[in-house]
Amino acid sequence: MTTYVYGIARGEVPDLGDRLLGIGDPPLPVRALNEGELAAIVSDCPPELKPRRRDLLAHQHVLTEVSDSRAVLPMRFGSVSSSDDDVRSVLAEHADRYQDQLNRLTDRVEYNVKAVHDEDSVLHQVLAEEPELRMMAEANRAAGGGTYEDRVRFGELMAGAVRAREVRDAKLVEEALAPTAEDVRPGPESGGWFVSLSLLLGKDAADPLLSAAAELERAHPWLKLRINGPLPPYSFVES
Amino acid sequence: MTTVVPAQQSRGGGGSSGLYDVLELILDRGLVIDAFIRVSLVGIEILKIDIRIVVASVDTYLRFAEACNRLDLESGPNKSPGLPEVVEGITENGARAKTKGALSGAGDTVSKAAQSVADAIRPSEEDEEEEPRRRRPARKAAPRKSEESS
Repeated sequence: MTTYVYGIARGEVPDLGDRLLGIGDPPLPVRALNEGELAAIVSDCPPELKPRRRDLLAHQHVLTEVSDSRAVLPMRFGSVSSSDDDVRSVLAEHADRYQDQLNRLTDRVEYNVKAVHDEDSVLHQVLAEEPELRMMAEANRAAGGGTYEDRVRFGELMAGAVRAREVRDAKLVEEALAPTAEDVRPGPESGGWFVSLSLLLGKDAADPLLSAAAELERAHPWLKLRINGPLPPYSFVES
Repeated sequence: MTTVVPAQQSRGGGGSSGLYDVLELILDRGLVIDAFIRVSLVGIEILKIDIRIVVASVDTYLRFAEACNRLDLESGPNKSPGLPEVVEGITENGARAKTKGALSGAGDTVSKAAQSVADAIRPSEEDEEEEPRRRRPARKAAPRKSEESS
């Protein structure tokens, strides 16, 4: 039986009983492997573990529950060890390193912020700020939409102009929100938003971030922000 | 609008509301320990599609051109469109309704790509409640790529 590892917590974690359920279908009970001053939060690993939605949520849920009462280093999803004993020996071997990180992350949470543009606003902005594009738009319209080549060329320029505003606004978002956090890391590159930032905040210290985000949206109404948190500090652990 | 999705949620349907936005953190961040193996994340690399690649497609260019064609240009020059009252002003309403599309189209492409990831990562989860965005019929990112090169 292999062991699935959710995270590494500080201090002795008492028997979790059947209180906390983890990955698997049906969900497997979560237990703690205590080793010195550290505890690995684990469960059995179901056969054929895949990143299913249910299991991703379970991973997240277990970390959230445990980190309510103690500092936890979240593992990346899908970390599996061949046995409980192997997990214990990893804890023993690298205890100092994990303790250092736990000290740094005690009472800290991660907030992730993603920004998108309001579609109409940014197109209007481009046409108003760039006379050449505006003239092309007018010429195309006068020509009943323009030829295929005209439209592709114009659309490419528009896409470039929109992209330039994404770069500009990504900087704007970071400059506005970073001062509210103890640390900032860029989120993983992905699609669906033009900037993703992870911020490290003190527990119960999110108000400045939320205020800054609200102010940013008020001052720049073409920006839409999505804030997720509090999260386990995924982006602030050092492997 | 700023939305805060608290992580402390029940494991019911409500718990999945923020998953899309934290997916890449759970999969791509967090502690990695060499002594542990990691499960194979088949399909997850699709998530890493760079939005710039999606935007830089002929398909997207044409949509931008089309959207601008429909925009109410008269509302533009004398006003600063950066201001909300202008962009959302009365004169714009008709145009707004019609021009939904260029950017949302681009975003659509991306969310479709992300969606195929979502599909890939939960192959047997039909019993679970779906988020609205995932109710749309799945369209793959792959055909989009062929259009880029055309």
